[in-house]
Amino acid sequence: MSTTLRGSPRAGAGPVASAWLPGSLLWRVAVLSVIVVFVQIGVVSDVPVFGVSIDLSPLLVAFTGLLCGSMLGAVAGFGIGLLVDLALMQTLGVTSLIFTLIGYGSGRLRELRDPQAALTPLLLGAAAAAGAMVGYSVIEFLLGVDAPISFELLREIVVGTLVDTAVALPMWVLVRRCLIGGLPDDPRRRRRRTYTTGGLSPLSHSRGRLR
Amino acid sequence: MYDKTVRRRRAVLALLVVLSLILLTAYFGEAPGGSLHAVQRGFLTVISPVQDGANKALKPVRDLFGWFGSTLHAKSQNSELKKQLAALRRELASRQEDEQSYRELIKLYHLDSALSIADYRPITTTVVYKSPSIWYLNVTIDKGSSSGVRINDPVIDGEGLIGKVTEVARDGALVSLITDSAVEVTAKIAATGEVGLLQPQVGEPGRLLMQLYQSAGAPVSRGDLVVTSGTISSKGDSLYPRGIPIGQVTSVNEQSAFKSINVSPLADLSNLDVVQVLTMVPGSPAAKLSGSVASLAPASPAEIEGEGPGGQVASTGGGG
Repeated sequence: MSTTLRGSPRAGAGPVASAWLPGSLLWRVAVLSVIVVFVQIGVVSDVPVFGVSIDLSPLLVAFTGLLCGSMLGAVAGFGIGLLVDLALMQTLGVTSLIFTLIGYGSGRLRELRDPQAALTPLLLGAAAAAGAMVGYSVIEFLLGVDAPISFELLREIVVGTLVDTAVALPMWVLVRRCLIGGLPDDPRRRRRRTYTTGGLSPLSHSRGRLR
Repeated sequence: MYDKTVRRRRAVLALLVVLSLILLTAYFGEAPGGSLHAVQRGFLTVISPVQDGANKALKPVRDLFGWFGSTLHAKSQNSELKKQLAALRRELASRQEDEQSYRELIKLYHLDSALSIADYRPITTTVVYKSPSIWYLNVTIDKGSSSGVRINDPVIDGEGLIGKVTEVARDGALVSLITDSAVEVTAKIAATGEVGLLQPQVGEPGRLLMQLYQSAGAPVSRGDLVVTSGTISSKGDSLYPRGIPIGQVTSVNEQSAFKSINVSPLADLSNLDVVQVLTMVPGSPAAKLSGSVASLAPASPAEIEGEGPGGQVASTGGGG
């Protein structure tokens, strides 16, 4: 495979999947979530792009699930959703429910398919953004919010998904950089890091030993 | 081990989903003063300073992004706004013309309102005497100078103009009907705006003849309404308020150089009982205007011929 998700710990039944929510990782996720939510509220929401605001929180939840697995993805989704609902004075539980499902789904994607393509964060970010917006709309309609189903709503969902997709890759880089230190070592990632940090390959070692 | 992991994962998911649903249901069902709302308000109270600080700290970043966004947005809107500007300029030119017309109409409206019935004080009176002779088409009313009635005050009834006051006593007044030879009314065709002098028709008592000053060429139809024009043609005329209905066109004569129109009065002049005198309060705009117009108006042909302008004015225009 030429294009891979570098640094993404291989899961399956790997160490992360079997571990019960490592504490350091939880702290990293919590701190990152608070920072992202505050940045979202304080900066990003005030900068409309093509008439919509970038929503970083579903991207954060999806990438957390992709990196850390379904369980931590679901927990992170619930917590981030609750934080968003509390901070924005929204109906409690709506965003939590949606983000829980997004985080769990992203984690399951990693655990079942283990996608290694470079475009995976892009596609996952788009799916997470679209899912969040559609899910939010559906729940609000079910709750009886008086808003007509209009072309404007469809445009908001489509444009919002595209805008979120555009920032998915930078967000992926950020989330991976912040969380990867808390992830349990993955044999493949450790091997790859050895090659890319100036370390010698086993062959060179053997050559040295031979000399 | 694997089953345990799967069960734990599913249990966590179910727990979080159920918790979300419980939160959602409880929050949605409770009153605004409920506990969950209170928790939310408390959370907002706690994080508000933090949020405020974060907002201030991140303001330069926000402004930077905002500057980029605004610039891109402005560039994308530039051509569209130029088109809108051109369209608005064209519209502005059109509106300015409309505004000019509007101002003229406003001026006209003020003039109209100065001469409207609303600026007069109507006094309701009863007709106590009717002339039996067809040569003197006038009636006597039971209100006079003690009630504010003056010479030349217009007199109307429910149908329209019936005449003007030509003699005034303390408790009574003489009203000359519009079919009387002593009365001339400057009138106009309501539909076309053509102005003319309305006089009794010779040989047909109870009918009026309207001589148009200048024919505008617009067709006058049978049944068109004739109303007071709000102007006077000679010094002795009464300044009738504009727009009082007088009669309807019955036929049009175009044989002569001047178009003349036969008019049938709207009011039943042979059966008058209760009428109204439109009196002018001394010093009121209507009284001032009436006096000014009467003094500025050109002398009537009778005055020019030396028929005794003083008597003419004294009998019909003194009270203007």
